[in-house]
Amino acid sequence: MDATVNGKKVQDLPPKGGYGSIQTERIKLRTILGTRGTIAFFLATTIGGMYGYYLSFKQVRRHQIEMRSARWAIFPMLLAERDRAVLKQMRRNRDIETELMKNVEGWEVGTYYGEPIFYLDDPNQYRDPTFLDHFAHSDPAIYCERAERRMWT
Amino acid sequence: MATAKTVLPEESELTVQEANVSWPVLQTASVYIGKGCEWYNNEFMLCRQEERDPRRCLNEGKAVTSCAMDILKKMKKHCLEDFNAYMYCLERSTGTLEFAPCRKTQAALDDCVRQNLNIERPPYGYFCEAKVHNTSRPRPEEKSITYPDPTPGLPSDVPREKSKYSNRFWYKS
Repeated sequence: MDATVNGKKVQDLPPKGGYGSIQTERIKLRTILGTRGTIAFFLATTIGGMYGYYLSFKQVRRHQIEMRSARWAIFPMLLAERDRAVLKQMRRNRDIETELMKNVEGWEVGTYYGEPIFYLDDPNQYRDPTFLDHFAHSDPAIYCERAERRMWT
Repeated sequence: MATAKTVLPEESELTVQEANVSWPVLQTASVYIGKGCEWYNNEFMLCRQEERDPRRCLNEGKAVTSCAMDILKKMKKHCLEDFNAYMYCLERSTGTLEFAPCRKTQAALDDCVRQNLNIERPPYGYFCEAKVHNTSRPRPEEKSITYPDPTPGLPSDVPREKSKYSNRFWYKS
């Protein structure tokens, strides 16, 4: 400001005593871990982590086996109940079909006009009914509920 | 599907008192039922596997259900409080009814069951192990299939010559 106000031109010069020296020497960063330390740390954490993983893996397996064991313990009871329910429903289905098709000429129960679904070794052989066999004569709402149950649970 | 020739049991034969309880109850009582009814369970499962026909294992199945019902009733009579505490813990801890978070209530129920029902809780993977079961039920006969036109084999006294070329690998042929 002074320069323009007084009408004098002042050259831009370095500060008195000159500029400071420029830093060109390398300054090393402060290190926390050296090479050996890093490798040792890596190995220690890896081995420690693997050991921890092994321990929890064993525990998880143990819990899985315990749950499966509990399931097997009640499985015979559930299977017995299911067998009885299935056999009851098979008889009911056969009775309903006999009643429903009694006026159709040439119809045989469980077959298509005498043509069986399976040619069995023994006419009295047992075959598990399929899902549609089992629910053939049931209420469509019940059928849908059972068919879609796995989508909701 | 059942045809007219399929022999199906009457409904009255199939109607027994079923264990009308939910999964948490079954899960809580599972190992005690499994241990207390071990013989009946093994008998039923062996029958099921050997006969491959549920109609021939109905009596074994009824025995299984009645035994389980019996144990459930006994537990209700003697250990209802411990049972309910354990079941509450199982239900509220995880959605899958894991046993791991409920060892304290489990120990209490174990104690009660040991004293009143004389059933020791088996080690954790007991029911996953293979079992040997002694039964008086005769083994069903396995019919081997004989075909009317079997391929005639060579008689045993046909001379067997050495092969002309040592072998037939691709690099030797």
